[in-house]
Amino acid sequence: MNFQTTAAHEEFRQKVRAFAEAEVKPIAFTLDKENRFPNEIVKKMGELGIMGLPYEKEYEGAGADVLSYAIAVEELSRIDGGVGVILSAHTSLGTYPIAAFGNEEQKRKYLPDLCSGRKYGAFGLTEPNAGSDAGGTETIAEDKGDYYLLNGEKIFITNGGEADTYVVFTVTTPGIGTKGISALIVERGWEGFTFEPHYDKMGIRSSATCQLNFNDVKVPKENLLGKEGQGFKIAMATLDGGRIGIASQALGIAQGAYEAAVEYAKERIQFGRPIATQQAIAFKIADMATKLDCARMLIYRAAEMKQAHVPYGKEAAMAKMYASDIALEVVNDALQIHGGAGFMKGMPVERHYRDAKITTIYEGTNEIQRVVISGAILGKMKKSGGAPKAAGGPPAPAVGETGPRKKMIFKGDPAECAAKLLEELKKDGFDFTVGQPIDTPIVEAERVVSAGQGVGERENMKYIEDAARAFGAAIGSSRPVAESLQYLPLNRYVGMSGQKFKGNLYVACGISGAVQHLKGIKDASIIVAINTNANAKIFKNCDYGIVGDLKVVLPILTKALDTGDKNPAPPMVKMKRSVPAPKPVPRKIGVCLGCGFEYDPYVGDPTSEIAPGTEFKSLPEGWVCPHCGEPLANFIEIEV
Amino acid sequence: MYNYRKVTDDLYWVGGNDRRLALFENIHPLYHGVSYNAYVLLDKKTVLIDTADWAVGQQYFENINAVLDGRNLDVLVINHVEPDHAALIEEVLLRWPKVKIITTRKAVTILKQFGFPIDIDKVDMVDEGDTRSFGKHTFVFVKAEMVHWPEAMVSYDTTNGVLFSADAFGTFRSLDGKLFSDEYDFRGEWIDDARRYLTNIVGKYGPPVQHLLAKASGLDIKFICPLHGPVWRDPMDIAYILDKYVHWATYEPEEKGVMIVYGSMYGHTENAAEVLAHKLCERGITNTRMYDASSTHVSYLISDIFKYSHLVLACVTYNLGIFPPVKDFIHDMQALNVQNRTVAIMENGSWAIRSGSLIKEEISKMKRMRILDEGVTMASSLQSQNMPDLDALADAIAADLKK
Repeated sequence: MNFQTTAAHEEFRQKVRAFAEAEVKPIAFTLDKENRFPNEIVKKMGELGIMGLPYEKEYEGAGADVLSYAIAVEELSRIDGGVGVILSAHTSLGTYPIAAFGNEEQKRKYLPDLCSGRKYGAFGLTEPNAGSDAGGTETIAEDKGDYYLLNGEKIFITNGGEADTYVVFTVTTPGIGTKGISALIVERGWEGFTFEPHYDKMGIRSSATCQLNFNDVKVPKENLLGKEGQGFKIAMATLDGGRIGIASQALGIAQGAYEAAVEYAKERIQFGRPIATQQAIAFKIADMATKLDCARMLIYRAAEMKQAHVPYGKEAAMAKMYASDIALEVVNDALQIHGGAGFMKGMPVERHYRDAKITTIYEGTNEIQRVVISGAILGKMKKSGGAPKAAGGPPAPAVGETGPRKKMIFKGDPAECAAKLLEELKKDGFDFTVGQPIDTPIVEAERVVSAGQGVGERENMKYIEDAARAFGAAIGSSRPVAESLQYLPLNRYVGMSGQKFKGNLYVACGISGAVQHLKGIKDASIIVAINTNANAKIFKNCDYGIVGDLKVVLPILTKALDTGDKNPAPPMVKMKRSVPAPKPVPRKIGVCLGCGFEYDPYVGDPTSEIAPGTEFKSLPEGWVCPHCGEPLANFIEIEV
Repeated sequence: MYNYRKVTDDLYWVGGNDRRLALFENIHPLYHGVSYNAYVLLDKKTVLIDTADWAVGQQYFENINAVLDGRNLDVLVINHVEPDHAALIEEVLLRWPKVKIITTRKAVTILKQFGFPIDIDKVDMVDEGDTRSFGKHTFVFVKAEMVHWPEAMVSYDTTNGVLFSADAFGTFRSLDGKLFSDEYDFRGEWIDDARRYLTNIVGKYGPPVQHLLAKASGLDIKFICPLHGPVWRDPMDIAYILDKYVHWATYEPEEKGVMIVYGSMYGHTENAAEVLAHKLCERGITNTRMYDASSTHVSYLISDIFKYSHLVLACVTYNLGIFPPVKDFIHDMQALNVQNRTVAIMENGSWAIRSGSLIKEEISKMKRMRILDEGVTMASSLQSQNMPDLDALADAIAADLKK
């Protein structure tokens, strides 16, 4: 054993390196500057045959090994970390789950296009409330017979918007944690599947990263990967492999920076000789080279283990953690060696420096890698002093302060958004030919148009007043608008400490959605939000939302609704809330015939370290009733 | 003087009535007393089925002696060891030292814990499905675990179809010289006490009761002889009480109707509850029942929540929390596993109105409960601005009941 790659591997490395230097290097600076996804390069990567390296030839893969794939990512990243991650996300995140968990039909349908590079793949796991902790997944797929109805959002998705197929992780059985997660293949272009603009990132700017939105996307049942409930397992298995890719990316970025630094150190003359002859610099170079070799060994070992189908999760985590940790050290030293020149845009080392940072974060933060590694060494150990998870019911679905809401958000052209909003309100049964005076007390109002701090200058209150008249609504505000800005009297502010609105329609304009405010409108039948900030909390708590400037949106709505003087409103009939509270999922519980104790999977059994989510039928042999010691055999199972 | 009654051939009721006891299990108020039932079977062997509470000891032994009429007692069957039935075991053993006890293994453990001098050599421990013959009559024993104690069993006489059902099918009220359900206006006069007994004492154990009912469904039952209340022999009556048990054990409401429970300090919440009841009546909903949580013993509230499909909780905020009598009721519902009801909430408070959201939180912890979106929040008292909400609430309840 001489810890050398084979001649064939090195020959392959030369091929990818030549491609990267010829095709990527000349435009890398531009891609970074313009935040541009290099479609033309990715197409050529397909022609080069590196888009499906570790997959079978039967599916148009290259039939190469995992190590070849690692080398390809490394070599692309050596020139451009962004291009490296395009390949990594495509190969090990977008394609792997289908290759490993897809059925024959799915493989035949998707793999040839992916492996040949005709199409690109991506992977959707991370959400606003789920990343390192996949149990927090809120994207939900409802079983509708022959299809799933997918709703939710995924953030920070590599290749997002550019990829054609997405392996998306979603809850199919709510309330049972990671066991209720499934993986679906979703195609770009399906109705309701939309993308946010690409993020403006610090590094890897040639790769595309964006948010995915699923709004009633119909996913055919045949696009379920594996079985229902296997999603978490699939995600974890995929990430194990993905870590080899990210480790290779980190290694490649660091390698590129290192080579640039060595070259620069040999050229830069100070005190009459190249700075490389100074020990201060030479020793840095020695350390950098050693770290790079260590990282490379770890990565290649993990790749070989994966190829040999032996458990490699711990080794992949070690490789990813170490390679990315030292990548930051190496790019830092490399930039230091460059001195002031390295700080200038246009120097590759400046880009490498920024590109490297993400590698300690994504595909499992390095903190999570340490959880994986230590967990593999120490096993699952009891946490001392940790209180058992609170009992009582399933984990609440993602419901905002105002309870279940439709959360139908309109974006884009304000006129179109306004038209859509009015159409929905009409469907809900609102009659805007009748109305109440704008000074109707909030508690008596059927409708309220309310201003938040987003209204800006006092003169903008005229938009609110005009809209209130047009909606036939009373005027209200958030607390700061009445208390600090004093645009309205204090008795018109809505919130926990102010007036509570329990009528049918609440239009929140420029209101961000502080909890105090939301508590005052939780009983409103319909909440409409208008705000420039798409991430404002109010949008998680509304039925309809328009992302836009109230100064633009309100005049459109006012014009559309202006029917002159409103007829007096008839006595209010409270509308039914449009979104009923979710029904609890029936579950099996065990009743002890020795004492009547009920084993509830929502609660588990902390006295025997049975985690919440453990089903009754999955209780381990030898488990006994925590109260009276009766064995499992003397339990009866019932559904509640 | 003895005062036994014949149940059927060879079988006699030898129990007694207690009208002095104020609180059953020292918790549930009694207004018409309670009976402690026990039975003697005269066969080749003489068999005593269960004992009774000390309170009726003298009557019990007079009755047994009169029925035995000089014969010795051979067998004591103990179906249930709770002290209101087991108290006299030691006295039985003193009077008939050779008596053989038939009971379950768990019963022996618990009897020893209570301090009874049980000689294990004189105990015939039986398990599920075991049979014992006493001459003409053969008993089969069926475990009735957690109805409502773990050691309980029921005994079935395969010869004449008599089921000795332990606490199952029992009720409050003394027997007053009568014995059979068909000798009373049971459905009118007794059912509320039967419900209050069952739901408060066995209410939590719906699944074990269902389990027992399933096992008993294969038996041809001619008589049900419980440990409290009347004996059942009329087939229509047996069907009636079985149907009630199925409802209670599965937490299905008996009736579509509304139980309104209010917690009110100065009458304002009470007023709101009354206005709601009035509005329901205007909408044709008359099957309603209103209770003041402060002055009604919680056992009555529990009893009626097992009867009605809908519950309105009208409650004032007290120390930033739920008014304690209402809170007690909610805790009792949780403890007794109450399920499958529709709940509406009316909250009151004068500066920080919290009772409604806290009640919602508590109800949400229970199984299969539905909370109506409609509800009323009033500040100190019901005012005109609350009327739309109150109307909406009455509409929602009425619509639900008319479904």
